[in-house]
Amino acid sequence: MSQIQDQLRREVAKLLEEKTVDLFLGYEDADLPLKTVARFIRTAQDADRLVWNRSCTANLAALLPQAFKKPAGIRGDWTPPRVGVLAKGCVSRSIVGLIKAHQIPREGLFILGVGCDGMIDRHHATQLLGIAELVEAEIDDGALRLRATGGAERVVDVSDVLADACSVCRFRAAVLADATIGDAPDTQEAAERYASVATFESKEMDERWAEFAAEISRCVRCYACREACPNCYCTECFADETEPKWIGATTDLSDLILFHLGRAFHQAGRCVDCGACVAACPQGIDLRLLNQKINQDVEALFGGDVSVSLDEPEPLCQFRMDDDQDFMTEP
Amino acid sequence: MTEKTTRKAGAPDGWEPRIAAFLCNWCSYAGADLAGVSRIQYPPNIRVIRVPCSGRINPLFVVKALQSGMDGVLVSGCHPGDCHYISGNLYARRKFALMKNLLEYVGIEPDRVHFSWVSAAEGVRFAELLHKVIDSVRELGPATKMIKQVEAVR
Amino acid sequence: MLVLTIAKTELPAFAAAIAKGRRLIGPVEDRMGSSFDEISDPAALRLDYRNTHLSPKGVVFPQCETLLVFEGEEGAEHRPEAPETILFGVRPCDARAISLLDRVFAWEGTDDPYYLDRRAKTTIVALACNEPGAACFCTSVGGDPAGEAGADVLAVDLGEQVLLRALTERGEGLLKQADGVAKASDGDVAAAKEIGDAARGKLSKLPIPTDLGTLKGSFDSELWAEEAMGCLGCGACTYSCPTCHCFDITDEAKRGNGYRVRSWDTCAFPLFTLHGSGHNPRPAKDARVRQRVLHKFLYCAENFDEIFCVGCGRCVSNCPTGIDVRRILARLSQLVSTA
Repeated sequence: MSQIQDQLRREVAKLLEEKTVDLFLGYEDADLPLKTVARFIRTAQDADRLVWNRSCTANLAALLPQAFKKPAGIRGDWTPPRVGVLAKGCVSRSIVGLIKAHQIPREGLFILGVGCDGMIDRHHATQLLGIAELVEAEIDDGALRLRATGGAERVVDVSDVLADACSVCRFRAAVLADATIGDAPDTQEAAERYASVATFESKEMDERWAEFAAEISRCVRCYACREACPNCYCTECFADETEPKWIGATTDLSDLILFHLGRAFHQAGRCVDCGACVAACPQGIDLRLLNQKINQDVEALFGGDVSVSLDEPEPLCQFRMDDDQDFMTEP
Repeated sequence: MTEKTTRKAGAPDGWEPRIAAFLCNWCSYAGADLAGVSRIQYPPNIRVIRVPCSGRINPLFVVKALQSGMDGVLVSGCHPGDCHYISGNLYARRKFALMKNLLEYVGIEPDRVHFSWVSAAEGVRFAELLHKVIDSVRELGPATKMIKQVEAVR
Repeated sequence: MLVLTIAKTELPAFAAAIAKGRRLIGPVEDRMGSSFDEISDPAALRLDYRNTHLSPKGVVFPQCETLLVFEGEEGAEHRPEAPETILFGVRPCDARAISLLDRVFAWEGTDDPYYLDRRAKTTIVALACNEPGAACFCTSVGGDPAGEAGADVLAVDLGEQVLLRALTERGEGLLKQADGVAKASDGDVAAAKEIGDAARGKLSKLPIPTDLGTLKGSFDSELWAEEAMGCLGCGACTYSCPTCHCFDITDEAKRGNGYRVRSWDTCAFPLFTLHGSGHNPRPAKDARVRQRVLHKFLYCAENFDEIFCVGCGRCVSNCPTGIDVRRILARLSQLVSTA
């Protein structure tokens, strides 16, 4: 991975030097273990700050639309910058989705694709430490060494702490790119991509409701999930609308349920299962619980892959005359 | 005319389900109207909300209706191929399929939310559909899962 | 004031005893490491935690609370009797944060009865830190791992024993109820001081701008745009912060009847300053990140003579895109004063 990082820094420095791009969006190491910062860099010298490692969890596509928007306070004409972005598979798919939704332009965007073997979910790692806090983390050839407060150490396989979304990811290489670094990653065909859905569905109805309600009750309406999601680009979210007022600003269970059901449903046919929502949630809620069910249905009922091709409309933007209607009520 | 056949044990006496019915203007609403002028009786449990097309249905309408205290929701539009706006109901059909599955998945009783196609000529069918929908909701009893509590104190 | 020691194994029982007839809230293990929760079984109390992912401010300032109930044109304040609460085992930074919130909610004669009622019924037993957390910087902002601000009792983990120092009348009253305690010896007190010194020594002093002129002068600096580039505009930092206190008031009404609710809000949301006219004086993230930092380090310093950051580091740990206030503060410190 460090070779790819070196290649990344060289490529980005070149892109900026040659003025192929004005800005490059990538990851920088944070001051905390297993965490990276999303960073726009402008100069070739800054390229050395960029990293590519197992903690590059944020979906950078979420930060792209604003780079192309005219900043407030600028009068008169303004040309958007040419923006480069480091795109692992899910990020590239989100980019495809955003281009199709006319939220970012294709021209003026330089996609630097990189193959991804999966990111570590920080929460999975910290959960192994129980109540102790993670102080240091080191990866050595597929092994993750964790050091916690109190001196406790644990060594685990990186594959044991991969983000849930990454464990079932099928699109490890960028689906759209202007240039690529690193080698093509091994393909991964997880045997049971929707195992979590099957497990949940196997429970009795009231048990599902109780579990879902308990999970969603942890929500504090910080909207980190929404802001981290590239698909949530609405300038006014339904959750904030007051005319009409869909949901209250409260933590009443029904408001929480409405928000999450509504948001999950708004992703239908667009969610690429990047896991950014889960990574962002400060309460560790398993938001993919809802998205995975919808993703499975979209695949099963409508076929095709979401946000892979620029030419194919998203599943909910098209229809077939013989679409399933077994669910409908007949008198 | 339907009788109050089965009622879920525990439902208060005299309780009747309240069902929000989103009907598309051109087909289902007209079909409901036809039932009326044909003097076909159907139970008074539905509250009709007319929309221009089933494609207008925002999934939030359905969950909001449940949150507001409705015991059931019916969404009805033109038959595929007959949409007044050509394809509104065809896009809607995809949304409805996902919505029905998602609500059942999280534990909302499947018989609370119904989707159907009723044309402007199907007055009798509309009434039969309603009997079925209302009976199925009555069997479930009052909806409680999505109702907003009055006191929002954690 | 009383200074006692108790066997560490007896501490949960002590917590349960002083919380008899009251609500006991303390740190418990949860999927995010630890969080504050109501405790019915004292065995669930986990005092070997570093710090929780969300602050305990929700005990006195809930995420969502009903202010009044109305029916047609008749309205009535909704202020049920606040429960007597023991907030047990909070870190000194969090206790100090509550003392800062006390200043806000009783400021220049505008007393907030909802907050003050809960606060009056809340007794705080703080637990000094033996080790700082990964992102802690309390000593850089006027705090201390064995700080006493805001607490009624300060507990110090001496190993086998725990030192309990009463800091207020109320705290003394609690300690008088304790069973199985002994008066702290000089050796115990010395041991506690050593632990505090050791913890303090492990914290590096970060460059924090305190010169208000410099901070004012930073308003137009380019550093805000650079640092804010990664900001998502979510509320993770604000909602986990022990001193953030902005709120929104909304009505939940149906056909003229309903209730008025106060819930947490954050200046990080784009809608926070959106006017009814459509104008937004903070239209972009740089203005919002600047606001959040300057509010804590400049405006509150001007209003209350206190920096409204206790250095708990939660915003640093919880930010999904890695915005780091320590980094921003270091950069601000480098700006030359223009005042």
